[in-house]
Amino acid sequence: MLITADSIPITRAAIIQDILDSPLKINLMELGFLPGKTITLHHSAPMGGPMAFKLDETILALRKTEASLIEVQLL
Amino acid sequence: MNESPIPSQVKSPKIAIIGNPNVGKSTIFNQLTGLNQKIGNYPGVTVDKRTGSMHYHGASYEIIDLPGTYSLYPNSEDEIIAHRVLNQLSEGEKPDFVLMVIDSCQISRGLFLATQLIDLGLNMALVLNMADIATRKNIAIKSFEIFKSLGVPILSTDARGEKGLDQIRELIHQQNFSNKSTFLAIEEVVPAAFLDEVKAKFGFSNSYQAYQMLRFGDKDKTISIEDKNWIKSKLAERNFDLDKAQLEETKIRYRLITAIVEKAVVKTPDVKKESGIDKILLHPVFGYLIFGAILLLIFQAIFAWASVPMDLIDGFFAEMSGWVSTLLPEGPLASLITEGIIPGIGGVVIFIPQIAMLFGFLAILEDTGYMSRVVFLMDRWMRPFGLHGKSIVPLVSGVACAIPGVMAARNIGNWKEKIITIMVTPLMSCSARLPVYIILIGLVVPDEFIAGIFNLQAVALLGLYLLGVVGVFFTALLMKHVLKSEEKSFLMVELPTYRAPRWLDVLLTMYNKSKTFVMEAGKVILAISIILWVLASYGPPERMDAVRAEGEAKLEAATSEGQIAEIENETASHLLENSFIGIMGQAIEPAIRPLGYDWKIGIALITSFAAREVFVSTIATIYSIGSDTEDELTIREKLNQQVNPNTGEKVYTTATAFSLMVFYAFAMQCMSTLAVVYRETKGWKWPLIQTAYMTALAYFSALLVYQILS
Repeated sequence: MLITADSIPITRAAIIQDILDSPLKINLMELGFLPGKTITLHHSAPMGGPMAFKLDETILALRKTEASLIEVQLL
Repeated sequence: MNESPIPSQVKSPKIAIIGNPNVGKSTIFNQLTGLNQKIGNYPGVTVDKRTGSMHYHGASYEIIDLPGTYSLYPNSEDEIIAHRVLNQLSEGEKPDFVLMVIDSCQISRGLFLATQLIDLGLNMALVLNMADIATRKNIAIKSFEIFKSLGVPILSTDARGEKGLDQIRELIHQQNFSNKSTFLAIEEVVPAAFLDEVKAKFGFSNSYQAYQMLRFGDKDKTISIEDKNWIKSKLAERNFDLDKAQLEETKIRYRLITAIVEKAVVKTPDVKKESGIDKILLHPVFGYLIFGAILLLIFQAIFAWASVPMDLIDGFFAEMSGWVSTLLPEGPLASLITEGIIPGIGGVVIFIPQIAMLFGFLAILEDTGYMSRVVFLMDRWMRPFGLHGKSIVPLVSGVACAIPGVMAARNIGNWKEKIITIMVTPLMSCSARLPVYIILIGLVVPDEFIAGIFNLQAVALLGLYLLGVVGVFFTALLMKHVLKSEEKSFLMVELPTYRAPRWLDVLLTMYNKSKTFVMEAGKVILAISIILWVLASYGPPERMDAVRAEGEAKLEAATSEGQIAEIENETASHLLENSFIGIMGQAIEPAIRPLGYDWKIGIALITSFAAREVFVSTIATIYSIGSDTEDELTIREKLNQQVNPNTGEKVYTTATAFSLMVFYAFAMQCMSTLAVVYRETKGWKWPLIQTAYMTALAYFSALLVYQILS
């Protein structure tokens, strides 16, 4: 089932399927959010705050609105 | 492709250091240059230009530290600079060679930028930094594989441990930079004929440079309107979709990089679990508590440690004034130097301890990796007010001093969020408001306990601090709705691995920030101090002469030491009354009467535009306490005795004192902040708007308070 990265449950991993079209698409891609990569949700700030994903060897924080641009398949 | 600009014999070769954020780029820069650094400005932007010189085996090299970026696609002012310099568009900063620093744990992200540089035809070398961490994480890198694919020299270093730095020096000295091939032929996404047209128009020889101009020329303020229009018309003519081309380029580039990384990087899965520090530091409850505790600790340290050097500086400049006045013959020149220029310089220097210490702590938090965690925790709470998670740093700094706060706002990429942050930071209650609060609270709030635990005076002080915070969020909210911006706000920030801070970097940050403040804001502050001094020392000659004559006559008749001092204080007070500032204070009396102030307070309001704490010394002079006294009790007693000659009532009633405190909480009574805002926004527009809105806010809030309480 395809979901967007903002609804990945905490500590769960998912494979990126696509980055949705938006002005931020390039920014996400240059950081390494590319189809085929695995991301894991490590932390989530309270009250709908930013989310921290592990991608390769780094932890990257995104707002929910940016995470919702990443289409993923839960592992 | 490979036209390496031959470094001239006279000028030393320029080497630009570039890399992603958090790869240890600045550490390498600091190690190579040491204290031989200069901070300058790039035209039209607030980005600091860090350059330095490296001396090695008798030769000298100019090193440029470029802002960190993930790609040549510029998103922020910082990245536009990197973009412009690397595209050889910046006159005077054309690098001869590029040293590209890559995090050994993040090879593919680093190669993204590195291969763009290769395509630009720059002569370069790669530094795989933080090799030690990669080893610890069980990442093995076959750098020869990377070299085979890219054809540029590669070094492996560990800049924190200073390993490999000699190799970098040697590489620079040998000028062992090269560039043999194109990595990605941009002709795959942009028609070659189109690129040729752009190359001919701008005189480029490189296709990727032509593509960059097509893509980003519009964002670069240094490109002329005609050229921008030319680009637009050409794009329209061909109906060319740039966004699509850029996406295509990104995809191809990453595909090629992935192929290299698969061959060159071997990762053995880490059996150890990730460190659990973030479990606590990013905890929804403990995370905030710990952040609060760290802040408390920092302020405690700043208040405890900064006051020592600040008192020393204060004393030193006072001594110097005294010493110089014994050297120079009495007259206007001596007075200008001892009462205008020396205290003016002192007024700039006095801020250095706070600025240096605050930036020292910020550098430590930044360097350990904690700062981006704070951004992560706070973003949610800042956003509703038009601020960014990164705004927390300036706001928090504002509790000590607004100057470093405003200076720290430049890290915020989004224009609107940066401006709002700069505009509201001075509303936080800074340490200079404290002396004013303490005198006034002591005057009207009884030193009693309520409910047996809360000291009323402490509660009043806390209330004033909270008032500042409320002012910040209220104003930010208002500005969020008033300011218009097309720019989309976003947060994409790396939470780097925790590390021990690099002390050399911390010290250099402290030194550089203080130096920037003194050099750039210092001029404005000195100019305003001299103007204020002229206004306070001169008045209509006939009135001033009369006051002096009267004072001298009284002195002749004086019989005791005590009497002489009293007469001198009285004369000083009368002189201030009749000076231009005194006249201004009297002129604004009708405007400030509804706030509960008389013209004497009006004078203090004007003089404390220099800095809030000047209120205290002005009040001391006006009430002939003698300007050298720092005894708060004496001032308090004097204030308590003041009565309005017309009504016979006390001047400093509870209503007036609270009205004054609220006025000082909100008013822009600080020329140094003004000067820094001028520097950071590159013009007088925002500092003037800020002064106007803060004065209005202060005036109407004080009016409200006085009218309710009286």
